[in-house]
Amino acid sequence: MSTTRNQPLQTTAAASLRGIAKTYKHFRLSKIDLEIEPGTVNGLIGPNGAGKSTIMRIMMGLVTPDQGTVSVLGQPISSREANAKKDIGFFSDDMRLYKSESIAFHMQFVRSLFPSWDEDYAQQLLDRFGLIAQQKVNGLSHGQRVKALLLLILARRPKLLILDEPTNGLDPVAKQEVLSELMKIVSDETRTILYSSHNTQDVEQISDTITFIDRGRVIASNNRDEFVDSWRRFKLQVPPNWQAPSIDGLRTDSTFGNLRVMTTDRYQTEVENRLQSSGATLEASEVMTLEEIFVAAVVRGREEKQS
Amino acid sequence: MNSQAIQILFLKDLFLSRWPMFGYLMGGLLSVVVACLPGETAGFIGFILMVTVTIAAGIHLIGVLLLAESVDMTRTFVMSLPVSLLDYSIAKISVVLVAFLIPWLGMLASLTVLNSVMPEAKPGALAFLTLMFLFMLAGFCLQLVTAVVTESVGWTIVVVVLGNVLLNLFLKTLWEHPVISELHKSEVLSWPPVVLQIMAIEVFVILVALGLAFLFQIRRRDLV
Repeated sequence: MSTTRNQPLQTTAAASLRGIAKTYKHFRLSKIDLEIEPGTVNGLIGPNGAGKSTIMRIMMGLVTPDQGTVSVLGQPISSREANAKKDIGFFSDDMRLYKSESIAFHMQFVRSLFPSWDEDYAQQLLDRFGLIAQQKVNGLSHGQRVKALLLLILARRPKLLILDEPTNGLDPVAKQEVLSELMKIVSDETRTILYSSHNTQDVEQISDTITFIDRGRVIASNNRDEFVDSWRRFKLQVPPNWQAPSIDGLRTDSTFGNLRVMTTDRYQTEVENRLQSSGATLEASEVMTLEEIFVAAVVRGREEKQS
Repeated sequence: MNSQAIQILFLKDLFLSRWPMFGYLMGGLLSVVVACLPGETAGFIGFILMVTVTIAAGIHLIGVLLLAESVDMTRTFVMSLPVSLLDYSIAKISVVLVAFLIPWLGMLASLTVLNSVMPEAKPGALAFLTLMFLFMLAGFCLQLVTAVVTESVGWTIVVVVLGNVLLNLFLKTLWEHPVISELHKSEVLSWPPVVLQIMAIEVFVILVALGLAFLFQIRRRDLV
């Protein structure tokens, strides 16, 4: 996923959001530009209330943006359009099935709307997820409900999967079952996935590209490996009155007595040489986890917004 | 507009409301039978039951089919399918109306049949009953538009209560009307101009309320 600006609407992207803005009473989504390439797995990471769900709902036409344009699978999307949704599978953590009805009822209902429904695959998923078709929804656990929803989405073989916090609240076993199924889908390179979570580990497992979002703004977006390669944390023992050399992409800079901790999002090996030649002792140059990168990006993003 | 999607959504909702719909139809038919039993007390109890069943059917079906979809978040699931807001709105307004009309028509039709076959019945009363049933249908349509606009159980109940109060005033006015009050005693079914005028107003309110419900539904910008 990459952030883009001022491009024409015609695009080969699986999904494209241009200048999307939406204002609620206590929340504002500000000028979101996102481009999701076909055949990629895209992670959308943000704290609760960052705007991940709003972006995904806008992509499904469930929420109408105040500004901007959205196209998904080459078609404009809004609540008035149904065509693009034929090839999109959408999961939302707060989505519910009819509690008095069975999984089989829902399978029949979804099958009637999708000619692409794959009954064999649906039966395989029932087995793999340990679900019973005749089971009523109100008797399902949270994990079973999530799996039932994923079954209803996956069995129609969508080209684009939009998954809003699918592993939220799942026990470790159920989470692994869900992620394993997603990994199998990922192996099909024609399918695109947009996956949101506030859990960086889940996203890191399956995503090619990652976008960080906080308080309604995209604060960083990059290829997963480039993210990890470009971020670095330096731990330095510094003498009194030490003057730090200029470091490109300095994101955080903290002092604990003689210990100075600096992070950059534009790491190059020559930075280490420059730090050492400045009189400081480089104690460690650490590769950061995605979670650490996320936290550093959010903190810096909030500071920048305030200033 | 996708007529196949509308049909699927309509049948799905009709299936989901099958038990309340059947229950109210049975309750309605029972109330008609009670109303037709000999004696004033039975007639009065049957009449009260008819009104009660109709009002309960309206609020229950709006709750099950319309308000529950936003409260229970099942609408997010439905609207994630290849369904446009127009398809959804047509299916939703139609099914709520049909689900209500089944017990409503069941009661009115059985009253008409019993009125024509029972020797002691007064066919003239049918005009009065038609006015009453149309008033309750208009009340239901106003509840429907309130539910669509506000998506609030509270506001819908406020309209139900107001409708109930107005129904009592309406019935009192009919009883006291010199022409209409005479219809009960008439051996012949007739439709005096005043009855037709009131019916026209009721039909107008029904059509406007349904139009508004549909208009508000399709103009909705956010579905969750």
